[in-house]
Amino acid sequence: MLVAEWLFEILSEEIPSRMQPMAQEQLRGLAETEFQEQGLEFETIRTFVTPRRLTLVVEGLPLKTVERVEEKKGPRVDAPAQAIEGFLKTAGVSREACDILDTPKGQFLSVAIKQPGQLTESILSKTALSLLEKFRWPKSMRWRSSSITWVRPLRGLLCLFDGKVVSFSYAGIEASNSTQGHRFLAPTPFEVQNFKDYEKKLHDHFVILDWQERRQIIKAGVSKVAGELTPLKDESLLDEVTGLVEWPVALKGKVDKHFMNLPLEVITTPMRVHQRYFPLMNREGKLAPYFGVVANVEAPDQGKAIIIGNERVLRARLADAQFFWEQDQKHPLERFNLSLKTRLFHQHLGSVFTKVERLVTLCMRMAEKAGTDPRIMARAALLSKADLASQMVNEFPELQGIMGRYYAQNQKENAEVAQALEEQYWPKTSGGKTPDALPSLILAMADRLDTLVGFFAIGIAPTGSKDPFALRRAGLGLIALALNPSFSLSMLETLGWSYDCYPWDELAVPQLKDREETLADLWKFLLERFKFFLRDVQESPYDHVEAVLSVADQNPNLFDLSLRVKALDQLMDGEDGKNLLVAYKRASNILKIEEDKDKCTYEGQVNKELFDLDEESEFFKSLSQKLPEIEGFVKKGDFVKAVQDLATLRPVVDRFFDKVVVNTEDKNKRVNRLHLLAYFRKTLHQLADFSKIES
Amino acid sequence: MKVDFQTVILKLQEFWSQKGCVILQPYDAEVGAGTFHPATILKALGPKPWRAAYVQPSRRPGDGRYGENPNRLYRHHQYQVLLKPSPDDIQDVYLDSLKYIGLDPILHDVRFVEDDWESPTLGAAGLGWEVWAGGQEVTQFTYFQQVGGFPCEPVSVELTYGLERLIMILQGIENVYDLAWNHPAGPSPMTYGDVAQQMEREFSTFSFEHLDAPMVFRHFEDAESMCTQLITSKLVLPAYEYCLKASHLFNLLDARGALSVTERANYIGRVRALAHACCTLWMENACG
Repeated sequence: MLVAEWLFEILSEEIPSRMQPMAQEQLRGLAETEFQEQGLEFETIRTFVTPRRLTLVVEGLPLKTVERVEEKKGPRVDAPAQAIEGFLKTAGVSREACDILDTPKGQFLSVAIKQPGQLTESILSKTALSLLEKFRWPKSMRWRSSSITWVRPLRGLLCLFDGKVVSFSYAGIEASNSTQGHRFLAPTPFEVQNFKDYEKKLHDHFVILDWQERRQIIKAGVSKVAGELTPLKDESLLDEVTGLVEWPVALKGKVDKHFMNLPLEVITTPMRVHQRYFPLMNREGKLAPYFGVVANVEAPDQGKAIIIGNERVLRARLADAQFFWEQDQKHPLERFNLSLKTRLFHQHLGSVFTKVERLVTLCMRMAEKAGTDPRIMARAALLSKADLASQMVNEFPELQGIMGRYYAQNQKENAEVAQALEEQYWPKTSGGKTPDALPSLILAMADRLDTLVGFFAIGIAPTGSKDPFALRRAGLGLIALALNPSFSLSMLETLGWSYDCYPWDELAVPQLKDREETLADLWKFLLERFKFFLRDVQESPYDHVEAVLSVADQNPNLFDLSLRVKALDQLMDGEDGKNLLVAYKRASNILKIEEDKDKCTYEGQVNKELFDLDEESEFFKSLSQKLPEIEGFVKKGDFVKAVQDLATLRPVVDRFFDKVVVNTEDKNKRVNRLHLLAYFRKTLHQLADFSKIES
Repeated sequence: MKVDFQTVILKLQEFWSQKGCVILQPYDAEVGAGTFHPATILKALGPKPWRAAYVQPSRRPGDGRYGENPNRLYRHHQYQVLLKPSPDDIQDVYLDSLKYIGLDPILHDVRFVEDDWESPTLGAAGLGWEVWAGGQEVTQFTYFQQVGGFPCEPVSVELTYGLERLIMILQGIENVYDLAWNHPAGPSPMTYGDVAQQMEREFSTFSFEHLDAPMVFRHFEDAESMCTQLITSKLVLPAYEYCLKASHLFNLLDARGALSVTERANYIGRVRALAHACCTLWMENACG
């Protein structure tokens, strides 16, 4: 069969960088679905994205489709006349043209509808329209007088099949064989023949079509201009810059020396976040007074004016930062707490300052429990939110905590206090680093406990996609923190302390939940977050999580639970675990069938006197020895040993099933063997409910 | 010779006049941005075509720096263009305007960087970009989607040039007060500092140190009340002017630090209610 290539480019005004990678994925997905629905076969689909274009190329499409016959099933032959008539009308056939379909449910009318072969070209004009209509941007807009929406106004449609234009129009634009290259370097439109020609001509017109290739050029380019210096590793910045340029050209700018006394983050935040520059580091790993910037043009002056311009902008931003740095330190850090009194935490939960007061109490209580100095904790808690009122954090919100640390260090606070001010916000991302130092860990937990308890108490919990106070994130953060081995605490108890820190009488919340209900709701929520953590961060299989939590969900020690799941992961990874599971399933199936049949549960004592075979007594002996051992290991939290012990059961259980028939004629022996199986089940349940594990 | 401040304004007036805009004068009351001029915010509502361009001195009391900061100003100047409906070639036309005042997009690496615009006080939102030249934001480029809570049909495009920043690039200088305001070789050369530094100094001192907050709170109440009365009388333009006054008084109180976070949200809500009422009246009268 003859095959051909389809090239489709959607040209628009500048697409936001952050939306480009997923747009490329979405277009590919939509195209695949369209082809499937139309029964159109193809060899490959590729998609591309630049700041101004979204492109699809499909190879190996047939020139026309083959005739298809579709069987359309109608009503029963004895259905009311109206129903039959309706069917005939929609199918466009007479009663005589119908077949009779014999089914177990009776005889049905059926008609074979022929779908004649179509020219692929005419299908593609509809496919192109459908892609444009079905595409969803995270945010889209209208323009001119049209009600059509796109991420930014559409400006061109290039649509070629087998080298010829597939004609259609959308949003007042006629599809053609022409497009544009770089906005400034080669603005004249040009025509293309096919994808190869398109890609090459785009390159001639200063556009690198492939996102990955542009990213690579940027990475290499910045490294090259950096010379002996090294760009600070920042993958997301690299991604963002890739979506801002069609023709990347890396340049190097200078930072005025006198700004280099400012803290690292104060210099690099405006660089990265506001200006999309790459900070450059010297050999000692210190910030060098230079930055990499990626332009979208090859300028006739080799970028001199661009460098001057960018240096000027950075100078203005750093001058602001320097001003804030000096202003903020004219007063001691705790002075900012005054402004926190007018900063609302939540309408019903008081100001940020009252939150700070609660944190002081809660942190001291946690410190006593953890055996660390409560005075240090009180100080850290008191200063914890002060920097939120500083000018620097107002200008650069991403510096919260970091500024607190610098300002505390400069006013000679205790080192642990200063460190806690920064690390209270860790983990910053799901799976991110949690603090190791005890004061940091306690402050980080207390902050999240206070937020979660407060919101749950006033009846604000995340529902569906709605979570305006980011409570899911706070919950996940708390779980990650609670898994730190250096401080294990009873979560339920700590939640209670936090509840007691709120001055509920003063706050006069309209519908306050009592302590018990709040804690119960929150515990349920945290367990869900914990499951999410085990699956998505620890990457344990879903069924392992269920298996462990269903035997231990009242155990408030999350750290133990996570170790237990990990141990189970380890066991199930090996042959012993897999075979043990097979034996378990066999045992529990037999038990279930017999228990259903006899309408009872077999959990009685095993009677050694009734054993016939060595395999029976050997099995019983192993279990009697292992069960208390395993129980002991589980209690101590030594799950690795518990799992190793479990694994040793495998040969005996295998021999038992090889030789022993459970459902024997002798009634007493049968019951005794069922008790033995139940004993085996009980032993495994010390670790997890193995019935929840998928084989 | 590098282009001076007033010549850039004259050129922009000439350029946009040729594109069919009515060239208007600044709104003669205090506003925070060119968007607040009725020729933008009200005219963007309703079906009638409209093209306007004008300079708008814009007051941001919070940005006052006593005439000492090389980049921040109590009052800066915006060049504002509104085109309804948005023309298909507007990006190209805009870039032509940059070339017209002497800014070469290649030499300065002009870029369109995502920046969605939202004004909570006006109940307005749009999608677009900040336009960068050499890493500096020089224009806000916005397709209005909604104003005063009403969808914009047709869509207008708004271009807001930051004149000081743009001309600092053209003149290659670091300090706004060194900008040549008129021709430096002319009979009476003036810098930006000669023209505007005293105002910067005095207004910063006024708003940070001498502003009588209780009095300004009263003025706010009065402006709000007047606006509400004028809406009842169906006088949309005077009502809107009092909405602008309320908005400016709010900015003064905010810069003085006279508002707590909760109060701040409350005042923004009150200005938004006035703006919404004005837009609603405008739509009822089918003015746009």
